[in-house]
Amino acid sequence: MVETLIYIYLLICVSMIVFNVVTIFVFHHQDKKLSRRSENFKQEIEDQIKHNAPVDEEYLKKKLKKVKYLTAFEKTLDRLFQEDEQQIREYIESIYPVFAYLTFEYLEKNQLQSAYFPFLIKKYGIFKGSGDVTLSTELLKLVHSKNLYCKENALEAIYTIGNADAVLEALEILDRAEQYYHQKMVTDGLLNFSGDFEELADKLWQKFPRFTVNMKTSVLSYFRLHSDTQAANVLRVMNDNQEDREVRFCCIRYFARHKYQPAYQNLLDFTQYTEKDWEYAAISATALATYPGDKTIETLKDLLRNRNWYIRYNAAESLDRLGMDYESLIDIFSGDDRYASEMLQYRFDRRNLSEQEAVTV
Amino acid sequence: MSPETFEIIKKILEIVNVFFVIYLIGYSTFLFLSVVIGSSELYKKHKQEKLQNAITETYYIPISIIVPAHNEEVTVVETVHSLLSLEYTTYEIVVVDDGSTDQTAQKLIEAYNMKPLHRPIHRRIECQPEEFVYESVDQKVPITLIRKKNGGKADSLNMGINACRFPYFICMDADSVLQYDSLFKISRPIIENPNVVAVGGVVRPSNSVTLENGRVLNYRLPKSIIASMQVLEYDRSFLASRIMFDKYNGSLIISGAFGLFKKETVITVGGYDHSTMGEDMELVVKLHEFCRASQTPYLIKYANDAVCWSQAPEKLRDLRRQRKRWHIGLFQTMWKHRVLFLNPKYGAVSLISYLYFLIYELLSPFIEIFGIATVVAAYVTDLLNVPFMILFFLIYAVFGCILTITAFFARTYTADLKVTAGEFLKASLLCFFETSVLRFIMAWVRATAFIGYKHKKLHWGKIERKQINIK
Repeated sequence: MVETLIYIYLLICVSMIVFNVVTIFVFHHQDKKLSRRSENFKQEIEDQIKHNAPVDEEYLKKKLKKVKYLTAFEKTLDRLFQEDEQQIREYIESIYPVFAYLTFEYLEKNQLQSAYFPFLIKKYGIFKGSGDVTLSTELLKLVHSKNLYCKENALEAIYTIGNADAVLEALEILDRAEQYYHQKMVTDGLLNFSGDFEELADKLWQKFPRFTVNMKTSVLSYFRLHSDTQAANVLRVMNDNQEDREVRFCCIRYFARHKYQPAYQNLLDFTQYTEKDWEYAAISATALATYPGDKTIETLKDLLRNRNWYIRYNAAESLDRLGMDYESLIDIFSGDDRYASEMLQYRFDRRNLSEQEAVTV
Repeated sequence: MSPETFEIIKKILEIVNVFFVIYLIGYSTFLFLSVVIGSSELYKKHKQEKLQNAITETYYIPISIIVPAHNEEVTVVETVHSLLSLEYTTYEIVVVDDGSTDQTAQKLIEAYNMKPLHRPIHRRIECQPEEFVYESVDQKVPITLIRKKNGGKADSLNMGINACRFPYFICMDADSVLQYDSLFKISRPIIENPNVVAVGGVVRPSNSVTLENGRVLNYRLPKSIIASMQVLEYDRSFLASRIMFDKYNGSLIISGAFGLFKKETVITVGGYDHSTMGEDMELVVKLHEFCRASQTPYLIKYANDAVCWSQAPEKLRDLRRQRKRWHIGLFQTMWKHRVLFLNPKYGAVSLISYLYFLIYELLSPFIEIFGIATVVAAYVTDLLNVPFMILFFLIYAVFGCILTITAFFARTYTADLKVTAGEFLKASLLCFFETSVLRFIMAWVRATAFIGYKHKKLHWGKIERKQINIK
């Protein structure tokens, strides 16, 4: 029995050696072939541009539907971009019909290859801002995929094309699916939307009540990072007591970034939530830095004495951001609350150091 | 020797023989499976990345990098310098000087124009008090230096956790360099799954590697044989077992040299334990135990493309010290979390990972030394089939050697690092030496780890430090 085992292990050893040799050979061979194909494409593109010749669409369609040629083509475009970006942008625009054809080809391939194609759409801004319905509709099929990368690349391509209806549908598909997606994937992705923002915002608000909490927070973060135009709607959501607290926190953050006076009283009210829902007070303490005034300063001074570390920290940071000086906060520094004065002292010392450094520079 | 005694010895040796056959089959099968699974995973990932099947590098999670340091004046400035060149947007660096007796703090203060500040620290987990805090105001990302009373590495990490601002933190060593894309790569599992509470990165020996802005300029095996063998050992370990354990959420180790953790979860379990030598492993096992016992959905992932370059000991004396420390740490962790032993409540972590570490890591040096002693006993009693034994060991050594070289290739090629024919030859010879010689030396070192061991709470493992080769 032991002998048999030894022979089995010997066989495994031989198989592994063969595997290693084949792997080295394949890797070496693949790299060489990729470079050769890329060089050929480069020559062809340069000749075509030089002689102002029409694109041979059929030739490109035939070649690029094979992924090994598409990867070489990507490598070529990257090289040419470094030489003359404008010229290559124009070249890419001239081959849009080829990419339109390839969409159908690549959607039929396995998920690994399907995911690659929308990546190129995004990377080279193909059909950017065109709102192309056919292409967007096709890409939506990939959003249904269970493969996260396929989904992600398709979403990125849809944002780039800029069709608001397609974006909305993509988000709904994403929201309905049981698979997790990180909030950042939606928020940061939406920031790449190249279509009409107002149109997209209207559509998003219409669907907003039906979104999950994760999607609501993603969309609100997107609005926050995009502009201050959605304040009225955001305030409405913030004032809704039935709304999830994470969603309401997102709204407070919106008003921390964009000053909106009608929200001010609500922010002050939130600072009273210092026990169970202390997060409201902590986030509002940060937001108040955007709303200078006596009432704000008094509130922040009160918060500075709160026993919750985060509330105190945020209040000190806001007082610092409001540019308060030592004299106007003398009651804190000379008071008997050591934690409050320490927290404030740290912020002030840090600001002084930064200012000194700026002067030195 | 009487015939009865001879028969008894023969019987005992037969039983021992069967035990070792089972033991070696178990280990060889594990090694084989893990190398095959690990290699195929790396090749699959390599193909995926070539076709851009990856999360785009635009999503950033704010990360705090905690660098515990004790007498690291030789390397600490270079380490922080390398951290400043990472390609990542939102992160901070927190260096915790654990009562160094050299110029560690002073070197940093001067190099980065740091200023003293009375920064309040939110002490959520126990640690020694701070003596002073310095911060930088003119660097790419905030750098904080906290000098504290000596309390050991775990205590320094706990201080770092208390002081850091972001929801995820990375622990690393002060003699290590993170590759330029390592923060993005180690944080990717968090973007992909919300239940991830910890991610381990790959640690590779930096001896003889030249780095520029976190990028590898020149990769070759170190001149030191001891360090070279560790390159192969690390490749096998990080490629093989860790990828396989990762497949079923069973990783028990995230190297202290490079790991990412969710701060809140670590605080919930009480942070690093400063009573053990293997605080890195202890934390991971504790996270498993806590999450499984409380039925909290969780994942501990392994990012096989997030690379940290760390100095491997070049002298046998340093290597022995390091391995002794690791073995004591392993024992302390296994003992402290013995509830995981064959306990179905903890699933595969108990029934596979814990058992593997118990048999093939903790007890293996004793078993191997016992094996050698048995061979000697069998030889003395003339019960040893010498040609068969030689063949058996030879096959075993070749088998281990080929799997190691496979791991080395897989790791090298999928990271687009090229090796010359000479390097290949050197690696092959060293593999054989590592499997047939170093392994037994290390078995002896580990088996005798507890001799002369005193419970040193504030212990820092030290190897001779050299300037990191950064351009």
